[in-house]
Amino acid sequence: MRRKTVPYILIIPLLIAFFAFIGFPLYKVFETSFYKASFLNPLARQFVGIENYKWLFNFCYPNPDVSYFLMAFGRSLLWVACSVILKVILGLLAALLFDSPYLIGKKVYRSLIIIPWAIPWAMAAMMWAWTLNPEFGIFNSILLRLGVISSPTSFLASPSAAFITTFVIDAWAGLPFMIIMFLSGLQSIPGSLYEAARLDGASEIRQLFKITIPMIKPVMLTVSLLSMVWTFNSFDIIWVLTQGGPLRATETLPIAIYNTSFRMMRFGGIGKASAMTIAQVLLITLISIFYIKTMRESDKA
Amino acid sequence: MKKLVGVMLVMLLFAGMLLAAQTLRVLMPIGGGYTIEDQQAIAEEFEKDNPGVKIEMEFVGWDNLWNKIITSIGSGSAPDIMYIGSRWIPALADLGAIIPLDAYITAEKKSLYYDTVWDTVQYNGSYWGVVRAMSTKAFIYNKDLFEKYNVKVPTNWDELLEAAKKLHNPKFGIYGIGMSGKRFVSTVTQFQQYLYANGGLIVDSTGKAIINNENGVQALEFYNELANYAQSGMLEWKREDLIKLFETGKLGMYIDHVHNAEAAREKGINVGLFMIPGGPLSDKPYSTVIVTDCISISSQSRNVELAVKFMNYMTSFEKQKEWDLKLGFVPPMVKEKDLPEFQTDLWKPYIDAIQYGTPEAINIKDWEGVQEAIVDAIQTVLLEQATAQEALDTAAYIINLLQR
Repeated sequence: MRRKTVPYILIIPLLIAFFAFIGFPLYKVFETSFYKASFLNPLARQFVGIENYKWLFNFCYPNPDVSYFLMAFGRSLLWVACSVILKVILGLLAALLFDSPYLIGKKVYRSLIIIPWAIPWAMAAMMWAWTLNPEFGIFNSILLRLGVISSPTSFLASPSAAFITTFVIDAWAGLPFMIIMFLSGLQSIPGSLYEAARLDGASEIRQLFKITIPMIKPVMLTVSLLSMVWTFNSFDIIWVLTQGGPLRATETLPIAIYNTSFRMMRFGGIGKASAMTIAQVLLITLISIFYIKTMRESDKA
Repeated sequence: MKKLVGVMLVMLLFAGMLLAAQTLRVLMPIGGGYTIEDQQAIAEEFEKDNPGVKIEMEFVGWDNLWNKIITSIGSGSAPDIMYIGSRWIPALADLGAIIPLDAYITAEKKSLYYDTVWDTVQYNGSYWGVVRAMSTKAFIYNKDLFEKYNVKVPTNWDELLEAAKKLHNPKFGIYGIGMSGKRFVSTVTQFQQYLYANGGLIVDSTGKAIINNENGVQALEFYNELANYAQSGMLEWKREDLIKLFETGKLGMYIDHVHNAEAAREKGINVGLFMIPGGPLSDKPYSTVIVTDCISISSQSRNVELAVKFMNYMTSFEKQKEWDLKLGFVPPMVKEKDLPEFQTDLWKPYIDAIQYGTPEAINIKDWEGVQEAIVDAIQTVLLEQATAQEALDTAAYIINLLQR
């Protein structure tokens, strides 16, 4: 008897913390999503049933054919996919490089690589904005001098360029985490496996695909899932660089939720923003479950 | 032990001070020229003159001021006095977050300011704030470039376009006109200069959107035409950053505040100024958007009398004069324009423009939402995804939703 109760008592503090800091706020958001409410008059809110959820699908702006929410959601998916794939590929390549026995001064690089992660993201984004600036940015200056371009190009002024630039910068900021995780994964692979492979005459490339990647697959799964959720909630970088523009090309779901809650007050902003938030939570959870499942299944196969 | 007693004594003393004093909470912005020291100094002086009163100033960056105001109102902890952009008055007034000040504004106080200045804080027949800072805008131009390319000072839109065209020589890194297109409030105010200069308005006196009428469409078409002679990557520029281009001699002209004209002159640019010329559909020769910030009093304040007293203290002629001179704002009080400090060529067009001015957000109930719709319209046209008429029709549709 005793043995059974103790564990439950021990997790009580955690449960309390969970409900106070995650459960309760989430419940409040869920509750608010059924009201017409704004930050200006939270007490004068009106119950509207599932109106806010209908609004997610029938408020078509600025594109007359697709709803505002679905546009932002689709844009988010694409943005997150691009950013995470970039992070995983570059992270793995960099980790392989840093793990290589031929590289000299590894410790220096490993400390340097932390820098993008250690700079506050908003600051990093400001730095990038000026680096990429068409008139004063060092990037344009280098490209012009090398003769790659003949007149200054702008990285944030057209919708597609801004989309690409923002996710690349996001990948840059998230890269250190990836590299560190991959490095620890690589270091946990027993050296005997490689020795055996070398004895059998396996090439480096073959070793990479047959030993390294399968061995760090669990790390890859965890890291990419974490990164996906974080990237989905990425706000600072886009906000500082473009505020979701030009023409809402970089208005991902978090930015759209912010705009709806703080800038559409008379629409009853927070009710609608809450509905968007709940939809986002559900959708990300679904995607995560699906992702874990397919990864596990491919593992078994 | 001694240490502990000491700490407790200090804490007791502190608590006692808080209890004894009548506290007034004041929310103030920082950034855009507003420093904490300047504002704190006024509070300290007021405390000296009014023993027993404690002014507790809270500071927040301009970018976050709106969020701070609405979240503190929502949580029932609004400061007694709030420094706000006058464009927010209708939204705050409609929700009963701020109180009308008609009863506290004396005829004498009223006569101190220009009538247009009062227009900026009026809504539903009442005054909801006392203006603290005002700005008008004018064109700042590089006299050397004008001379080099043989351009004369424009007095109408045709000449303005012609001037931009002649000045524009991107091969040498010179751009005809500095313009903003970034998703930001100042992009809307830059477009508004042309909208108002062409006799257009965002909404009419009944609150219905008229931004898509002939005046508005022509203004946006003109904005788009001027954009051909603007700096590269216009959609990532906000007006606040254009001064950096102008200071390096890369811009022929652009619309900005007086303090930036001064800054450019200090950097060695041969600065000239001219008022924004009226458009083809306007009956006025010149135009400017009048933007004001004001002091408002929260409806949650339990100390209205004291709040009014501090408001009047801050906005007395003497204090206002000091403030405007220190921060380089356009004087909202009539008497100020005769001060010797304002008799310079830099100040002249800004003060002359007041009489041709139109308030930034007249009759607009939800500025933040309207601003978003207008930025969308401007960017759509600049990216050539729709005509000015189509883009403004969409904006008008959203604005009407917000005005309901």
